[in-house]
Amino acid sequence: MSRFWKWTLGICVTLVLVAFAGLSFMAGSPKDVYGMVRYAFPHMHRGKLRAGDDAPDVRLLALDGSNHFHLRERTRSRPLVLIFGSYT
Amino acid sequence: MVKIYNDYKDRADFLTVYVREAHPTDEWQMKSNVKEDVCYAQPKTLEQRVAIANDFVQRQRYPLPFGIDDMNNAADLAYSAWPERLYVIDEHGRVAYAGGMGPFNYEPEEVRAWLAKRFGPVTQTSSATAPRP
Repeated sequence: MSRFWKWTLGICVTLVLVAFAGLSFMAGSPKDVYGMVRYAFPHMHRGKLRAGDDAPDVRLLALDGSNHFHLRERTRSRPLVLIFGSYT
Repeated sequence: MVKIYNDYKDRADFLTVYVREAHPTDEWQMKSNVKEDVCYAQPKTLEQRVAIANDFVQRQRYPLPFGIDDMNNAADLAYSAWPERLYVIDEHGRVAYAGGMGPFNYEPEEVRAWLAKRFGPVTQTSSATAPRP
């Protein structure tokens, strides 16, 4: 391998290691970096909805586990605040 | 959000939509989950998701109305919701406020500011401190 490519490879490996070390510091640990890359990044989306867009209608399940309702059934004569999230 | 709900529930409707877990035990579990004893695997069935949602409501005494996303994650995909996000839908069914992607851009105070602009500022003393879902 020529000297140029050795240097290039060495610099790339160094940059990757520095980036990984930085992410580990920010995320808390190398395990958290892996978790972030493996499980979080594929599900994170900036989102396309903007103010003024029609709110998508989706079907949701009530806490009793058997009754469904549509989100738009809750948009009546008052604004509707939507809070998306999970327990963990 | 519970405080905002208590302040504005007479003027606006609220709905919590439960989506796929952010830090389940079988994916990216955080140390804080273990510390707070919030340890659940990613639900593989709707029944499992319903069970965790009910656990949350009961353990946290969460007063807000609740809806659970189906296992096809339709609500999550439509609203780019994961891991957490806030929206306000107006009376005409249009998006009036679209919050940023959580956790770093999840800003309940922006929702409060929108509601205050619409209905006027309201601050009541409230001891409800249930965490966000």
